[in-house]
Amino acid sequence: MSWRRRAWPRNGWHRLAAPLGAPLPQRRLFLLPTRFGLGWAVLIVLLMLLGINYQNSLIHALAFWLFALGVAVLLRAWRNLLGVRLSLRLPAEAFAGGAARLGVIAESRRPRTALQVRCNRERARFDVEDGRGEGELCVPTPTRGVWRVPTLSLESRWPLGLVRALAWQAHEHELVIWPQPLGEAETYRADGGPGREEEDFAGLRRAAPGDGPARLAWKQWSRTGTLASKAFEAPPRDAVWLDYADGSGDPERRLSWLCARVLAHHRAGERFGLRLPDLTLAPGQGEAHRRAALDALARCRPGADGEAAP
Amino acid sequence: MSRASRPRSAEAPAVLADGRGLSGAMLWRLFVGQCLVLALHLAWMPAWFAGVAVVVAGYRYRQLRRDAPRAGLLLRLAAVGALVAALWGQYGSLGEMRALIGLLLGVYLLKLLETHDRRDARVVVAIGLVATGVAFLHGQGLPLALAAFVALTWQLQSLMWLSGARSRRRAWGEVGWLLGLSAPLMVALFLVVPRLPPLWHMPETPRAATGLSDSVSPGDIAELSRSDARAFRAEFRGQAPPPGERYWRVYTLSHFDGISWSRVSPSQQAATLERPLSRFVREGRASAWAGQDPPRYDYALLLEPDSRPWRPSLGTPLRAGEPQRFLADGTLAGREALRSRALLDLESSGEAPAFADPAGTRWFRLLPTDTNPRTRALARRLWRQSDGDPRRYLDAVLARFGQAPYRYTLSPPRLTGPHRVDDFLFEARAGYCSHYASATAVMARMAGIPARLVAGFLGGERHPDGHFTVRDYDAHAWVEVWQDGAWQRLDPTAAIAPERIEQGAAAVSEGREAFLADSPFSPLRYRGVGWLNGMRLEWERLEYQWQRGVIDYRGAARERLMAELTETLAQLGRALVALGPWRVVGLAVLALLAVAGGALGWRGWRRWWCGRRDETRRLAAFQAWLGRRGYPLRPGESPAAHFRRVARDRDAAGPALEAAAETLEQWLYAPLDASERREAARRLHAALGRARRDWRRATRRVIVKAQTASTRHEHP
Repeated sequence: MSWRRRAWPRNGWHRLAAPLGAPLPQRRLFLLPTRFGLGWAVLIVLLMLLGINYQNSLIHALAFWLFALGVAVLLRAWRNLLGVRLSLRLPAEAFAGGAARLGVIAESRRPRTALQVRCNRERARFDVEDGRGEGELCVPTPTRGVWRVPTLSLESRWPLGLVRALAWQAHEHELVIWPQPLGEAETYRADGGPGREEEDFAGLRRAAPGDGPARLAWKQWSRTGTLASKAFEAPPRDAVWLDYADGSGDPERRLSWLCARVLAHHRAGERFGLRLPDLTLAPGQGEAHRRAALDALARCRPGADGEAAP
Repeated sequence: MSRASRPRSAEAPAVLADGRGLSGAMLWRLFVGQCLVLALHLAWMPAWFAGVAVVVAGYRYRQLRRDAPRAGLLLRLAAVGALVAALWGQYGSLGEMRALIGLLLGVYLLKLLETHDRRDARVVVAIGLVATGVAFLHGQGLPLALAAFVALTWQLQSLMWLSGARSRRRAWGEVGWLLGLSAPLMVALFLVVPRLPPLWHMPETPRAATGLSDSVSPGDIAELSRSDARAFRAEFRGQAPPPGERYWRVYTLSHFDGISWSRVSPSQQAATLERPLSRFVREGRASAWAGQDPPRYDYALLLEPDSRPWRPSLGTPLRAGEPQRFLADGTLAGREALRSRALLDLESSGEAPAFADPAGTRWFRLLPTDTNPRTRALARRLWRQSDGDPRRYLDAVLARFGQAPYRYTLSPPRLTGPHRVDDFLFEARAGYCSHYASATAVMARMAGIPARLVAGFLGGERHPDGHFTVRDYDAHAWVEVWQDGAWQRLDPTAAIAPERIEQGAAAVSEGREAFLADSPFSPLRYRGVGWLNGMRLEWERLEYQWQRGVIDYRGAARERLMAELTETLAQLGRALVALGPWRVVGLAVLALLAVAGGALGWRGWRRWWCGRRDETRRLAAFQAWLGRRGYPLRPGESPAAHFRRVARDRDAAGPALEAAAETLEQWLYAPLDASERREAARRLHAALGRARRDWRRATRRVIVKAQTASTRHEHP
């Protein structure tokens, strides 16, 4: 009994879950009657009584057939789910206060019908045809942080709705939910400087339709016969430091503000560094840097540090 | 709710985009299911149910089109109230069987008004299944069973859509799987599960009494010749009686009131004669009155349902398969009326009973004194002429009927006077079997010879497979007289119309406009048309097999089959034991090997079948083929580049390989829709095949060239 006490209290059914990404094994597949299934049983009893009391062979036959159909349904429902390989595709980015679109992909050789994947209260329905089926779970993400995607359940009431074939799918997927960016007005703190032109000559490149005539390297053309256009670059600027301590309000608000700043600077193509209570990110630029910064914001635990408290 | 989709878009899913409301297509499917179920009942139920179905569906359609509001509670209650009132008007009460069925059907049809989501739709289907079962209370014939199968299939298909089918092919395919998988189990359950006796009494559908009645006045039986309703069927084990011997006794009529003959039931007889009832009727499997004579005929009767418990028997019944009531007059009665067709195994003597009736011979001489004076005078005269010899007297009576102007006719003139026998013998002189039998019995009694009328059937149609069908128009009446310590059959019809005895009522030529007059479309009217008659006989044979094999599979029939089954199993077990342990083990191993081989073969076939259209697999196979011929795939080389490289080397297969490379690239990278992809895959396959062929041809040519070159070299 001790194992039960140890294993059962919290989410005992986790133990019954099969790993995500592997073909669904037979021992992790459960068949539960639905309400209509119970009604079906009552129907059979009713027809049996009718058949017995009227000594009617064909009513007997109908009752037997409904029973046999129920048995066949067990087999078909079990086969519909057996061996399905389910995988999860996390969205590239998710902000708090929005919704994350989790892609659910099921693969199997045989076609499958009316699969339903549930994650908390959200559900996605899809079929598997030609070896592959795809659905989308739209899960709300109310708060910032690292969200462990809960155990998924895969179920189906195919073919008659008498039983529910059910399997839980355990996995280790985590979704990093970035803070909700603050509105544009509050984020803009002027240190972006004046608008800058691209003025440093950076070389020649093959001309493309749409290049302005001023940019075309006419001299090169006269000399070589190849039309090229001059390319310029903006001069490198001093990196901007985004500091947690510069913000105001509660920690979440500060993080939201930082998030909006990160997005704005990235959009403007500027270098920025990030200074958080528990982490400092050296100035950088580009998509990878943006991700690193936003991930840092998502994972930031300001409460852990004494100085972070306002 | 969005606008209803057109009902014919059968590929539409069951629910609307909101995930709850039923789509118009689903409602259409439910309605079709209702129509199918209703069609099962319509032959027995009032026709206005079809109107109810159409009105409800029309309302629902308008509601989907937003032309009408949802049916409110008031409207639904009013509809149910109207239904109850209509049924009350039709049947007079709701307790009757038909009214209850009508209530079920009405609720089933009206339920469509408040069917809005999946759950409601499933309830509709479930009620439909009950209504399908209830349809078998009307009858259990083969056509009804087939129609019910169609309805069941449709209901299953509806459930498929409700649980998420997206295409018709998928829904029907799954229905096929389910039916195929469940049918063997259903058959096994049907054969094995024991049948319980009724648990409680249920309301009954009243059945009109057809066929014979237990009182005969002259002219009654001629009425029966107008009908082709089936009375019963019989199948003989061993020899079947010749046509002239097929006298099926049903009732003996011993009381004559001057006009008609009527049956005196055992309880009436016991009350009148103040004797115990057990003197007149005994229940059991064997007759208590007949001696130990060996029975001449052994047969199974398939009886039609009737409101009275009569059972026919060929001559005197001796033994029955199930307990029956054996009457002292040598007839048989069931313990209760039949509510559906039933089987009865019977053995009988084929002759009139050889034992005396406990009522005594006086009972069979009783006649009202003041009727039929002219007949009485005739009887006295004939009795004198035959010198008081009963045999000669009866011969004289029959001989008199055999002469003109007595006629045997299917449409005899109506007799209405108080002296019916006088009228018949001296005025009309035309009649059917009951007229002659009645007159003969009256004249026998007038001469003091104990006599009674027997009502039953004579003849029956013999089917090619050997069973007999006896119909209402085979009804017959004849006489039994007590002579020499036994009852003797005396059939005056044999004297006047021997063709009736040998060939049946259809052979009687006079008054034949009355024959089958009530069945204008009866297939029996077209007996002369060969192929039509053949089809009719074939259908009747099928129907008989259905009745005997399926509908009457219970009780004794089931026990017999189960006994055979257990016996077969036991024999198998004995045979295995007799083989000895080593051989049994060997057999088991062989069986296991066979099963494993079958499974392997099946898997291989499956793999081949599924991989048949798998292009990557084919491609890999072709690459391996090239590799075996010295052109393996280099690391980092794309399949198309591989083909092109080989194409440069091998001129013969070059064009085909180039084409293959190009198609492959198209197939892999071009944005094609499904049909174009299929087409590209087909072309790729063709190109690969061509490349292989060209390659082989070229190689062969090279070999041939090399050989010719070498021969030239050797013999310059």
